[in-house]
Amino acid sequence: MDDLIKELKELEELVLQCMKCGTCQAHCPLYQKDLLESTVARGKISLIESVYEGRLDKAGSILKHLDYCILCGRCKENCPSGVKTDEIFLRAKAVLRKIEKLPSWGKVVLKIVMEKPDLLARVAPLMHIGLKFGAKRVKDDIFKPLLGSFSKRNIKQVASKPFTKTHGGLHKADNEKMKVYFYPGCAANFLFPEWGEAIISVLNHFGVTVYVPEINKCCGIPAATLGELETYKKMVNENLDEINKNDSEYVITCCPTCQYALSEMGPKLTDKNPDKPFYDILMFLNEILKVKFNVDLNEKFSLHTPCHYLSSKKANLKKHLEENFKGDFVVLENQSCCGFGGTFNMKKYDDSKAVGMSKAEEVNIKNIKKLFTPCPGCAMQLTDAVVEVGSDAEVEHPIMYYARELEK
Amino acid sequence: MLNKSLVKKFESILGTNNYFTEPEDTMCYSYDAFSAEPVQPDIVVKPENEEQIKYIINICKDENIPIVTRGAGTNLSGGTVPVKKGCVLLTTGLNKILEINENDMYAVVEAGVVTANLANAAIKKGLFYPPDPGSMNISTIGGNVAENAGGLRGLKYGVTKDYLMGVDFYDMDGNYVKGGGKTVKLVTGLNLPGLMISSEGLLGIMTKFVLKLIPKPKFSKSMLVIYDDIIKACETVSEIIAAKILPATLELLDSFTIKTVEEATKIGLPTNADALLLIELDGHEAEVLEDFEVVKGICGKLGGNIKVAETNEERDKLWEARRKALSSLARLKPTLILEDATVVRSKIPEMMKAINDIKNKYNLVIGTFGHAGDGNLHPTILTDKRDKEEMERVEKAIDEIFTKALELDGTLSGEHGVGFAKAKYLEMEVGSGTIEYMKKLKKGVDPQNLLNPHKMGL
Repeated sequence: MDDLIKELKELEELVLQCMKCGTCQAHCPLYQKDLLESTVARGKISLIESVYEGRLDKAGSILKHLDYCILCGRCKENCPSGVKTDEIFLRAKAVLRKIEKLPSWGKVVLKIVMEKPDLLARVAPLMHIGLKFGAKRVKDDIFKPLLGSFSKRNIKQVASKPFTKTHGGLHKADNEKMKVYFYPGCAANFLFPEWGEAIISVLNHFGVTVYVPEINKCCGIPAATLGELETYKKMVNENLDEINKNDSEYVITCCPTCQYALSEMGPKLTDKNPDKPFYDILMFLNEILKVKFNVDLNEKFSLHTPCHYLSSKKANLKKHLEENFKGDFVVLENQSCCGFGGTFNMKKYDDSKAVGMSKAEEVNIKNIKKLFTPCPGCAMQLTDAVVEVGSDAEVEHPIMYYARELEK
Repeated sequence: MLNKSLVKKFESILGTNNYFTEPEDTMCYSYDAFSAEPVQPDIVVKPENEEQIKYIINICKDENIPIVTRGAGTNLSGGTVPVKKGCVLLTTGLNKILEINENDMYAVVEAGVVTANLANAAIKKGLFYPPDPGSMNISTIGGNVAENAGGLRGLKYGVTKDYLMGVDFYDMDGNYVKGGGKTVKLVTGLNLPGLMISSEGLLGIMTKFVLKLIPKPKFSKSMLVIYDDIIKACETVSEIIAAKILPATLELLDSFTIKTVEEATKIGLPTNADALLLIELDGHEAEVLEDFEVVKGICGKLGGNIKVAETNEERDKLWEARRKALSSLARLKPTLILEDATVVRSKIPEMMKAINDIKNKYNLVIGTFGHAGDGNLHPTILTDKRDKEEMERVEKAIDEIFTKALELDGTLSGEHGVGFAKAKYLEMEVGSGTIEYMKKLKKGVDPQNLLNPHKMGL
C-alpha cells in the first residue's frame, strides 16, 4: 500500500497546479447534470491529494469518482491554471486499479479488443447477424436490441466484414503525389466502414495513395480509461512501431480520440513519438490538400465538435463546414460533450445518455436535419439520442458527402 | 462521524441520493478556493426544497451540529471550509430563476442559481444584472450575497449589495424570515437584506432573493491601454475619475499578470508591457463617444498606447482574459495567496508603490491585478506552502499590505470577505467595540454558534 501512495505522490507536481478555483464546474458536462464536487475535476484532484497526504485511508474508494468521468478534457482545455487533468486522472486510475481490480467484463473487453484484434474481426459478422435477428430495426441501419442490457440503446448495425478485412493494403492513386497511412480505429473498422471507403476514394481522387493496415490494432484508449495504463502503453507502442516503419508522409484518422491517444497522450506516457504528423481527414483536406467542395444541402444542418478534436483546430472545423456546405447552418447553443466517452457509455449508460439527450433535444426543437460530426463515438451517441427524442435528423460524417459529390 | 440513527434522520428527509457521509464524498467539501488546510465535514446534504432545509436546521439544532452553507465553493477567504466539521449544506440543487419581471425590473431567484445564468436570462429580456464577479460563470447568487461579491463593473454599477432588494432565509430555530421585497421603496422594519449581505452564512440560511435589474446600456466601447510604467497606469485611473468620468470597467494588470494570462489565453496581449488598463465605457452613444475622447486624451498624456476592441468577439476575449487572471497565475507556483486589499481610489498609485516595496523587501513574487477603478487591488503572492521559510516572509508581507491599506483609508477586503483568512485582522479595521457588537448579534440569533462558526472570528 505504501508503494501505491508513493506512486500517487509522484503526481504532486501536477496536482499542485490546481488552485481549486472551480472554473471546471462551468465546463464539465457531468457537473452540469449532478452539481456535485465529486463529479468535477477540482473534487477529483482534491481526493487524490487527500490520499497521498494521508487524510483518506481507503485509497481504493476514490476510484469510483475518478471513473465517473467522460474524459472529454473540457476541464483541461478551459483550466486557466493549465492543470493537466487527463494525465492526472489516467495515471491516478492506473495506480488505484492495483487496489481495486478490474471487473470481469472489463477484462474480457480488453482481452479481446486489445490482444485479439483478429478474433474481434471474426466475431463481427456474428454480431451483424445477431443484430439483424435479435433486434428491432428503428431506421435504415439503426437497431434496438431486444434483450439484455443493450435493449435501451439504438445501435448502428455492425459491419458484416470489418473494413480492414475488405480494404487492408495499398490503394494506389492515379498520378500519385503523396502517400498516407490511414488508421481507421475500431469504430470505423466495425461500425462505419463506409467512412473508410469514402476516405480512400476522396484521397485517391486527389492523387493520394492510401495504405490501410491489414489488421486494426486498437489505439488503447479503452484500456487507459479503465485504468490499465500498461496495456494502453503497449498498444501505443505497437501502433507507433507499425506507423513509423511505414513509408507514408502523414497518418490520417477519422476518430479524434484515436488521434489523441496515439499522437498526444500516448507519446507523453511512452518514450515513443510518431515520425510523421497525424491529421484528421477533414483538416487534411483543408490544410494539406487545400481542396474545397460545394455540397448543396438545402436544409438545416449543424455541427457537433468532438471533445478530442485538437483544440487548435476546432474553429477551423466549423469554418470548414461553412465553406464546403451550402444550406442553413445552425450553430447549436449547447456546445457540450455528447456524453459518450467509450467505456463510460458502457459503464454508466444512463448518465452518458442524459448528457447526449440534452443536445439531441436542441437538434429536435430546431428541426435540424443533418448533424455532422467527424467522430464515430459522437456519431454513435448522437444517433442513439436523436432517435430517442424522436428527431429525424441524420448524424453524418462530412466525408460521405464529399465522396458522393465526386462520384457525380 | 455521525451515528447511524442520526444519519437515518437525514435520510428520512432527503432520501438516499441527497446526502453523503462516506469520507470519499465528504472530502470533496473540505476546501474552497482559499489555500488552507482542508477540513472534512461529517455530512453533506443537498436539499431540493425549503421544507428540507427547515428539517435539516432542526436536526442540527437538536444535535448541536454546525452548518456551513455552500454554493459553488469559489470563495477566496476560507468561508466555506467547515472548520468545526458538522454539516455542509449545498444550495446547488436550488437553482431556479423563478421570475424576471420586465415591468418592475427585478428578478426572483433561488440561492443556487449561477450568476452568469441570471445575467444571461436578464439580457434576453433587455435587462441588465451588473454584478459580475470574476467567477460569475460558476459562482452562485447565494454565495454572491453571502460574500457581497463585487466584480469588474463595481466602479460604475456597484456590487451585489446595490442590487439586493429582498431575501428569504431560515433562522436557527427553523423560522422563515422575510427581509425586504419587490418595491423600490421599502422601509418596514430592520433592513434585513442589509444585514444578510456580507454575512458569510453566519446569521441564517438564505434560500431566495429579489434582485434589482436595470435597463441594458445601449452602447459600449472597450479598449486596452498599454503602458511601459505601471505607476503611469495607476495615475491614469486617478485622472479619469478626477475628470468625473465613470467607466463601467477600469481594470489593471501588471506585467507579471499580463504574461501569465497571455500564456493561458493566447489572445495576443502585449507581453512586453509593464501594465495594461482595460477600460469599458457604456451608456448613451453620444455620451460614451464624448467620454471616450477625454479618456483617450488622459491615457495618451500619461504615455498609454490605446487599442480599441473593434468587434464584440474582441471585447469578449479581453474580458475573458481578465477573468482568468487569478487562476492563470497559479501556473507559476504551487501556492497562490490572493489578497483583496482595497483603498479609496485616489490612493491607488500610492498603494501600488507600497505593494512594490513590500515585494522587494520580502523578496517575493507578487502579481498584481484588480479593479483599479474602484480601488480594489488583488496583489497575488506566488509561493509554495511547503517552503516554511518563504511562508513566514509571506505572512509578514500580508501584514504589511493590510496595514498600508488601512492607513490609506482602505479596507481588508473589497469583495472576498473575511472568512477565517482575515479573521485575525478584522479588529484592526473595525475596532473592538464593533467586534463585540457583531458577537452579540451573532449570539442573539444563533446562541449555540452553529452557523458557520469561527468565521470572522465569531
